[in-house]
Amino acid sequence: MKALIYFAVIVGLVPIQSVLLPHISVWGVKPDLSFVAVCLVGLIAGELDGLLVGLALGWAMSLFSAQDLISGAVLKGTTGFVAGLAGRQVVYLSPIVLVAGLLVVSCLTGLVTPFVLKLSVQQDWWWAVWTVVLPQACLDAVIGGLIYWLMWSRLNIEQLMSESRM
Amino acid sequence: MRMVNLRASYSARRVALVLAVILVLGFLLLPGQLQSVFQQMGSPLGWIISWPLQVVAGIYDRIADVWGRYVALQEVEEENQQLKRELDLLKEQNGQLREASVATERLSALLEFKKQVLPASVAAQVIGRDTGNWYKTIILNKGSSDGLQSDQGVITPAGVVGRVVKTTASTAVVLLVTDPNNAIAGLIQRTRDEGIVEGTTQGQARLKYIPLLSNARPGDHVVTSGLVGGVPRGIPIGTIIRIDKEEEALFQSAELSPEVDPNRVEEVLVIQSSSIPTEGERLGVPKPKS
Repeated sequence: MKALIYFAVIVGLVPIQSVLLPHISVWGVKPDLSFVAVCLVGLIAGELDGLLVGLALGWAMSLFSAQDLISGAVLKGTTGFVAGLAGRQVVYLSPIVLVAGLLVVSCLTGLVTPFVLKLSVQQDWWWAVWTVVLPQACLDAVIGGLIYWLMWSRLNIEQLMSESRM
Repeated sequence: MRMVNLRASYSARRVALVLAVILVLGFLLLPGQLQSVFQQMGSPLGWIISWPLQVVAGIYDRIADVWGRYVALQEVEEENQQLKRELDLLKEQNGQLREASVATERLSALLEFKKQVLPASVAAQVIGRDTGNWYKTIILNKGSSDGLQSDQGVITPAGVVGRVVKTTASTAVVLLVTDPNNAIAGLIQRTRDEGIVEGTTQGQARLKYIPLLSNARPGDHVVTSGLVGGVPRGIPIGTIIRIDKEEEALFQSAELSPEVDPNRVEEVLVIQSSSIPTEGERLGVPKPKS
């Protein structure tokens, strides 16, 4: 059942990210839904699930981007794994804390990405921070916080986390 | 017991009958004269009658007006709704027809362009954009099963769009000419100076490595040189909008406004041919006799 849900998430997110989100981007920047999904899966279901879903989702997203497949898969996989480790350290996670956490992790991932991708010299670190990293981190944090708040208000997250991690 | 004077009544009837007969005969025998007599006799009477007539007519009009405007509004409302529905339907049909007309024109132009320019090319539709924020790409609905491969050029009748960088069986990712990571060999059409066209972070393009002695100026058109990028020679890339000449630099560069707006591209041609025709072959210029 869990694998089916993960498969549906992967298959569903790619068209949303490539077809719908470009039309609702803010200042040309769109949120990375796969990042949000991987973080939430890692937090709720643990580091192994986060790693595997991250690898699969990163790979699937890279198929529809100029980004190379390996870096996309590895970055998302690492993010999922780190989110799983972080989720193991906290007992209670409020939406506000999650928003702050997503903001920081998205910024860190965004700062690493230009070096991994070996982008053009025009796309220097300063450009990356102001044009992509910070706006995307804000969008990721808001959307992730919203999804988590919806889950938090309707589901018993602690129970879900303990059941998922078993 | 009621008494009736039959005699008087009889004579009055007789008189009335005679008068009626005379009148009818008069109408039949002398119609014009009698009518004018009656007309003249009736004028004062008509003037008198006209006052209450106008009053009644005014009242009737007001009532009819009130009825039409307010009391019978239910029917008008229904009619109005129906007309609005019909108008909406017609607007929708009109929009669809306009869209179909525009699409037909666009596809006809693409087909014509394909016939006349590139014998081995595949038409594809844009179905999406890059999943990330680091690259400017579009996703096509044709892939490796349709013969698409990496490094194939992608164009429209307006000009160069980019080049294929990745394919799956049914999709292809095209790196746009406006992406800073893309490079295409370009040529200034007027001066014949060559250079490399790169995208910029502002969504424009830049022609680099123009010789210092070149007299390129804003407004000059830049086309593909056919050397790199999987695109035949002479396909429009953009128009120079500014020349940048730095002191002690070995080359000058030019900022270009791309001919194709990547955000509005809907259909493209992917150039498959390994042997890309020269400009002369494409334009049908006769070959020199050997």
